[in-house]
Amino acid sequence: MSSWLELLTDNFDALASGFWVTLRLVVASFAVAIVVGTLVAGLRIAPSKWLQRLGGVYVETFRNIPLLVLLIISHAGLRRAGVPIGPWTAGVASLGLYTAAYVAEVLRSGVFAVSRGQIDAALSLGFDQLQALRRIVLPQAFRTVIAPLGSITIAMIKNSAIVGAVLAINDILKEGRLIASRTFETDAAFFWAAVGYLLLTGAATVAFRQLESRYAIRR
Amino acid sequence: MGYLFDPDNWEWLVTANNLEFLLEGFLVNIEIALIALVCSLIGGLALALARLSRNPALRLVAGAWVDVWRNLPVLFVILYLALAMPTSWREAYENAAPGFLPDVLQTGRVFAALLALVLYNSAVLAEIMRAGIQSLDRGQSEAAAALGLSYWQRMRIVILPQGLRRMLPATVSQLITLNKDTTLVYIIGIQEVARHGRILTGYNFFGGVQAPLLQVFIVIGLMFVVTNLALSRLSRHLEIRERERTGTEVEPVMGLEDQVATVER
Repeated sequence: MSSWLELLTDNFDALASGFWVTLRLVVASFAVAIVVGTLVAGLRIAPSKWLQRLGGVYVETFRNIPLLVLLIISHAGLRRAGVPIGPWTAGVASLGLYTAAYVAEVLRSGVFAVSRGQIDAALSLGFDQLQALRRIVLPQAFRTVIAPLGSITIAMIKNSAIVGAVLAINDILKEGRLIASRTFETDAAFFWAAVGYLLLTGAATVAFRQLESRYAIRR
Repeated sequence: MGYLFDPDNWEWLVTANNLEFLLEGFLVNIEIALIALVCSLIGGLALALARLSRNPALRLVAGAWVDVWRNLPVLFVILYLALAMPTSWREAYENAAPGFLPDVLQTGRVFAALLALVLYNSAVLAEIMRAGIQSLDRGQSEAAAALGLSYWQRMRIVILPQGLRRMLPATVSQLITLNKDTTLVYIIGIQEVARHGRILTGYNFFGGVQAPLLQVFIVIGLMFVVTNLALSRLSRHLEIRERERTGTEVEPVMGLEDQVATVER
């Protein structure tokens, strides 16, 4: 065990920088996922059949394609096609767009969880469609989606490891592998990398549980 | 866009046996997913029962086990086992692997991948099953006990048939995640569809390639989209049929699979 601690102190800078890279990757992709996910959810509840179908195609495509394939398409594939895309752009875009499909589905079902009667009531009180959406539906929808958004975020933290493995991005897992191949201490290097991931997923679990206990409503 | 739809860039699809080569790789993915699913269902049920057991020590150990494996990236576990698994385990697998499996699946490396997928998915499925069992009214188990059924009889006759029905949708969406996760074994060099795609698009001796990378991986992506869509359609169909057959609204367990797509109602 003492050699494990030594490995941590000797390689702390590398592990910390990997942790930091994973955190940045996750935060940036989360932002993309929320923005795109909201837009796609908007398409899926739009009054036009064609817009709904477009949103549906987005969700079914990005939800069912493996992230690894998406990463190869968006980096190596686009570069071979002559688009000079960098690893960060490709990584954040892939992880963000992939996660956005799940965000869109959750937001949509959150909107549908608000009962139709409330919308009818709002309309009969003289609200127009958008007002009813903004004032009545969305505030409640937001509260019901906290828990599922939490598990999406945790899944995204875990999926960020795939980004580092395919692209030239030195995240926790990559740093752990580099340390393992340099020191031959595979168990210790992977142990500390695991601690990094469990810290991130643990922090996300606690944060979303807090949000939930403060805001969530269960029906 | 011009590049994407240029017919010259799609010629590879009908050239030689390129498409067949990709489908051959895809079959390996499906096989890995199926083997891992069967093992994970068995492991998950054992873990779920351990988490619900009356013995507090067993409960605690099973709970910690599930939480650790559920919260680590599955790729992390694959890479770790590929590096750190003892050679004797690999050899044992190579000797024990049944002969009807294709050659790719008989190598020791695949064992590391399978074990990692099973460790991860059995932990996720354990949580789904636990929720399915716990969602049943306690009275059912009590009534069964009052009728003189033993623990195993209660589980087999009363609890599991109902609990498992409730977890079907969550299990199918976990199966879709598992199916996608099989591409991760590409990273440890197993000959599956993404590796076959890379071979098709690799530079040859003269600096040329057989097939354009973008198009090849779009086709690979489509293979997964089609299979996974079919899986979710099938699950919805089964759900509706079950509802019609039993005449009751089964409240499914939700929110515990890896990637959630709905809100609890």
